[in-house]
Amino acid sequence: MPDTVIAPIIPTVPVTPAVLEGLRAIVGERGLILDEPGKQPFVTDWRGSTVGTASVVVRPANTEEVSRVVKLCFDNGIAIVPQGGNTGLMGGATPWPTHSGIVLSLGRMNHVIEVDPVGYSMTVEAGCVLQTLQETAASHDRFFPLSLGAQGSCMIGGNLSTNAGGVQVLRYGNARNLVMGLEVVLPNGDIWNGLRSLKKDNTGYDLKHLFMGAEGTLGIITKAVLKLWPAPKDVATAWLAIRDPQAAIEILSEAHGASEDNVGSCELMSRTCTDMVLRHIPGTQDPLKADTPWFLLLEWTSSRPKADGAEGMSDKMEQFLANQLEAGRVLDAVIAQSEAQARNMWVIRESVAPASRAEGPGLSYDISVSISKIPGFIDKGIKAALDILPSIRPYPLGHIGDGNLHFSFMGPQGMDRETLKQYSPAITRAVNDLVTSMAGSISAEHGIGIDKIDELAHYRSKIELDTMRSLKRALDPKNIMNPGKILRL
Amino acid sequence: MTDFVEKLRVLVGDKGLITDDAGKHPYLTDWRDNYLGTALAVVRPATTDEVAGVVKLCAAEKVAIVPQGGNTGLVGGGMPHEDGREIVLSLNRMNRILEVDEIGYSMTVEAGAILKTIQETAAAHDRLFPLSLAAEGSCTIGGNLSTNAGGVQVLHYGNTRHLVLGLEVVTPSGEVWNGLRALKKDNTGYDLRDLYLGAEGTLGIITRAVLKLWPKPKDVATAWIAVPSPQAAVDLLSGAHAASEDNVTSCELMARQGIDFVLKHIPGAADPLADRHDWYVLLEWSSTRARREGANETGLREKMETYLGEAMEQGLVVDAAIAQNEAQGRAFWALRENHSESQKREGPSIKHDISVAVSKIPAFMKDGLAAMKQALPDCRPVPFGHVGDGNLHFNCQSPPGWDKKRFMAHGEAISGAVYDLVVGYGGSISAEHGIGRLKVDELAHYRSKVELDTMRAIKRALDPQNLMNPGKIVRV
Repeated sequence: MPDTVIAPIIPTVPVTPAVLEGLRAIVGERGLILDEPGKQPFVTDWRGSTVGTASVVVRPANTEEVSRVVKLCFDNGIAIVPQGGNTGLMGGATPWPTHSGIVLSLGRMNHVIEVDPVGYSMTVEAGCVLQTLQETAASHDRFFPLSLGAQGSCMIGGNLSTNAGGVQVLRYGNARNLVMGLEVVLPNGDIWNGLRSLKKDNTGYDLKHLFMGAEGTLGIITKAVLKLWPAPKDVATAWLAIRDPQAAIEILSEAHGASEDNVGSCELMSRTCTDMVLRHIPGTQDPLKADTPWFLLLEWTSSRPKADGAEGMSDKMEQFLANQLEAGRVLDAVIAQSEAQARNMWVIRESVAPASRAEGPGLSYDISVSISKIPGFIDKGIKAALDILPSIRPYPLGHIGDGNLHFSFMGPQGMDRETLKQYSPAITRAVNDLVTSMAGSISAEHGIGIDKIDELAHYRSKIELDTMRSLKRALDPKNIMNPGKILRL
Repeated sequence: MTDFVEKLRVLVGDKGLITDDAGKHPYLTDWRDNYLGTALAVVRPATTDEVAGVVKLCAAEKVAIVPQGGNTGLVGGGMPHEDGREIVLSLNRMNRILEVDEIGYSMTVEAGAILKTIQETAAAHDRLFPLSLAAEGSCTIGGNLSTNAGGVQVLHYGNTRHLVLGLEVVTPSGEVWNGLRALKKDNTGYDLRDLYLGAEGTLGIITRAVLKLWPKPKDVATAWIAVPSPQAAVDLLSGAHAASEDNVTSCELMARQGIDFVLKHIPGAADPLADRHDWYVLLEWSSTRARREGANETGLREKMETYLGEAMEQGLVVDAAIAQNEAQGRAFWALRENHSESQKREGPSIKHDISVAVSKIPAFMKDGLAAMKQALPDCRPVPFGHVGDGNLHFNCQSPPGWDKKRFMAHGEAISGAVYDLVVGYGGSISAEHGIGRLKVDELAHYRSKVELDTMRAIKRALDPQNLMNPGKIVRV
């Protein structure tokens, strides 16, 4: 966590032997982790940058057990940190070092309860791994579009609690748009059954949307009804060397019409970014030996199979890329000729996070601005960072169709984490000031968690923060549900 | 209270204040004549700051506020109570379009802008704002947002909440929350926007919004289709997605009873088909790609003709007419949109705005019609609705010649039978109209204590004095 963040005041009621016995009675020996080595992975975040503590890690097997655990904690005032796959980037699922309560892991609740291919929906437990859900949908000739780098280990409960984004938002929307209903265990242990699979339901406040994106601070999502889509039947994936970010935006703008509204993904990567991946991730290959500073991963997807003799996605894309080449936006391009080639392109995009970890210390900002402002933001943002630390190495990338950039930097060659940290507050302020001046968001998809708690307080209006605090106090009066995340009370 | 009214006058001026009974009347009674409330005054602020000033004054003087848009709601959400202690705050002077961003596909508007004006403004910029419903000529966008309105294009574009990027809201304490963000992604804390949308003005007053726009359709095909049964309608829609290449924008089911009322009461209405049929579907496909020679030679109309021909062979279609021009398409739509108006002219009726899973519509229709008839054998059911959303207006017209009082004596039995059935089917007792005053008790009856308590906790937290549209949605 940033050194500048001072731990908020959170409940510090300890887990007494009596409470521990209570927990054991609810979840059994299998559902408890007490030893330090066993707890370690649950109190350390994925990046290894935030380490907290917990008296015990509790792993309930079903909603009823979650409810009873929460009720026991509520009665005793013990704080709870809900956790899914622990792949978050803002420390939202990591306990504070001052935490004396429990981590509640949903990992054992990993059942797909029902798939309804005709109704295009799927009911699942919160601990299901995202990739399992994608595969389950595919085996029913359906598509669950949420897709992101951590999909092999992140869990749907965490995805919903952070309103995750990923590489298909352009077409299908954020995680909150992929959900019809939720089941949530509230901070007092009550179970809210909102597992409705209705397209329309105007019956009071939209609780579903309130719990999604709340990062577990208002309750614990235990089940969800997810929307499904028809499975893609005709996919074209291409790797483009492009002139600059402005060209990327223009290419995307024209791709909608040329693909007949079938643009599935459009990911911008800088050369520094792809070089970093190729350097650190074994088996990845440069799809183009082009000596250009910007690349675009473009994918078109249709649910209609290519008919004999008719133009498929690949044919349409080929024609489109030829036109773009002529227009000077595309410098070189290759369309994947096989699924393996397409996979290689995607592996490069998805390996940015692990590659950056291997590269060493760095800084990354998950920001959004309106799409047309992206090129200007990249120019100004890089300049602002270089003004503060001239040897820092920018490797911007992002989901340009969503106006969302992962505005990232490798530390200067040879600079250690501690030294880089000294520059971090100034660069953070410069980047976030720029975002705010361009009417953007300081957290497009990763959320607030621990890392951005002070940034949010700095940039948001008093009335907005007060409204959020009122909601938090109303639904979690004892402040036991993931306390000290998103907001200080 | 004259003192209070004078303080209001200072804030909004003479133009913004209505205190005489005749002037107040239209704001105190609803479109269906179900309610007649009273109010200390009708206040019509001209700006967000004036709204904030009025709300602050009311908070200080503990006067409750009933926010109102075009006053076209169907559940009394914009109606004051009868105790005369509230004010009506009408947004109808705040009706400006503030900005149209063609490239960013968005539009910033004031809450009192009329839906039709917004649609026309979008069209003038070669864009589409897809929200479309029968009251569009008089309903205002603030009311649409506060009720998360549905309409005839939800199938393709989603409910109103899906058409919004950002909001400005005056909170119950009179603060202005500026959430007018035009971002596709913004994960910075609780989703306040979606909380205010659909809250029926009980948590604050929406004063401005950033709306999403879409490309304007360039090729539209509209058909009036006689189908043998509701099951055929569901099957027809299911196949239409692929046949139209995902361009189905509307699919409305209607029973003959509703058509009969429209033909009887609406001047100029004509039956597009020669014979009488039990069930009809109004099907519309729209594409943003203009039909042009060479590249897109087969327009939607030809595709639809082919599809309906196949469907007829399969027995899903009995007869059909495809609109040959825009005027004909408009005439088909008028038959659908005049359902409410003609029901009103026919006499008393009870409306049920329900939803079930799409695949359950045929079974629900059968059971529901039987339940209605059992509750009142002479009643005349008028079911119609948005098949693709699983949303039916499962209405019940009185027996011929009955007055409202006589008919309403059976209201509870009829609605109870319908709602019990809906809940049994895992459905919703208010798909798009909301709760308002009309369904407060029903919601309390059918929803769990946990859910009601959670809603109450939210209401108390954001409106501790219970001055913002009190008594709507949930009792606190």
